[in-house]
Amino acid sequence: MMRWKQFLIPVKNMDTDEARAFIHDHQEGTFTLLDVRQPTEYEKERIPGAKLIPLPELPNRMKELDPEKPLIAY
Amino acid sequence: MGGRSRAAAQMLSGMGFGEVYNLKGGMKAWQGLKAEGPIEMGMMYVRGDETPEDIITLAYGMEDGLGDFYASMADLTRDEEVKAVLKSLSQIEDKHKKKLYELYLDLQPETKDRDAFESAIAPDVMEGGFSTKDFIEAHRSDMETVEGVIIVAMMLETQALDLYLRYSHQTKDENTKGILQNIGDEEKAHLEKLGRLMEEKHGHSNLI
Repeated sequence: MMRWKQFLIPVKNMDTDEARAFIHDHQEGTFTLLDVRQPTEYEKERIPGAKLIPLPELPNRMKELDPEKPLIAY
Repeated sequence: MGGRSRAAAQMLSGMGFGEVYNLKGGMKAWQGLKAEGPIEMGMMYVRGDETPEDIITLAYGMEDGLGDFYASMADLTRDEEVKAVLKSLSQIEDKHKKKLYELYLDLQPETKDRDAFESAIAPDVMEGGFSTKDFIEAHRSDMETVEGVIIVAMMLETQALDLYLRYSHQTKDENTKGILQNIGDEEKAHLEKLGRLMEEKHGHSNLI
C-alpha cells in the first residue's frame, strides 16, 4: 500500500554550515549521520563516519538506527 | 538525486524517529571534510565477529602506526610550529594507546604487561587502514612544504575518523563502541587543530 501520508510529513532541512556546526558540537555516538545514496557514491566521497543504508534498503534496515538520536540524512 | 535523503527523512519521521534532518543540497553542497574509499576499506582486518579485545588490538596497532608517522614527520620538518603540532599529535596517539591498553586490561586482567600485549598487535597498520611505509612512500612528495604536511595529516585524520566511526557501528559491545566514539571525538579535535594551523599558515580554511 502506498503510504501517501508519509510524503506530506514536513522535514527539517539543515544546510552545510548548520550540519558542520552540529557535528562539531555533538559527541560521536549521540547522533546519526546517514548516507542513503548507493554504495558507489558512498565509496567515491562521504562525510567521515557516515553510516551507509541506501534508500532502497532503508525500510528493512531501519532497526539498525536509534530513533531516540538526532539523525542527519544525506 | 537530492530527493532521496528527503524521502529517507520523511520515512524515518513517519516511523517515530524524533529528530530528523535532511542535509540541504546533499553531498554536492557539503563543504566539510570528506572521506573516501571502498566500504570494506580498512575492514580487511575486521571480520565482523571480533571480540572487543580484537577491536582494541586493531585500534592500538593503528594508533601506533600513526604515532610513528607523526614522530618521523616531526623529525623531517624544519618549521618549528609544524614540528610542534606533529609532536603533539604523536603524543595524543600515545594517550590513545594508553587508553586502549587500559581498556584491554579491564577485559583481560591477567595480561602480563604492555610488551606482552604489544607483541600480539598487527604490525604496520596505520590509522585509516594504510600501512605506514606505503603511505609515506606514496606521499613523500606532498610533504615537502608546511602546507603539504598539514594537508596529508588532515587527510589521514579524516580517514581515521571515518574508520573508527565505522568500526563503532560494527561493534556490538557498548564499552568498545564508547571508546571508539571517544577516539572519534578526539580525531575531530585533531582535525580542528590542523584546520586552525592551516588557517594561520595559509590564510583561510573552510575544512571543518
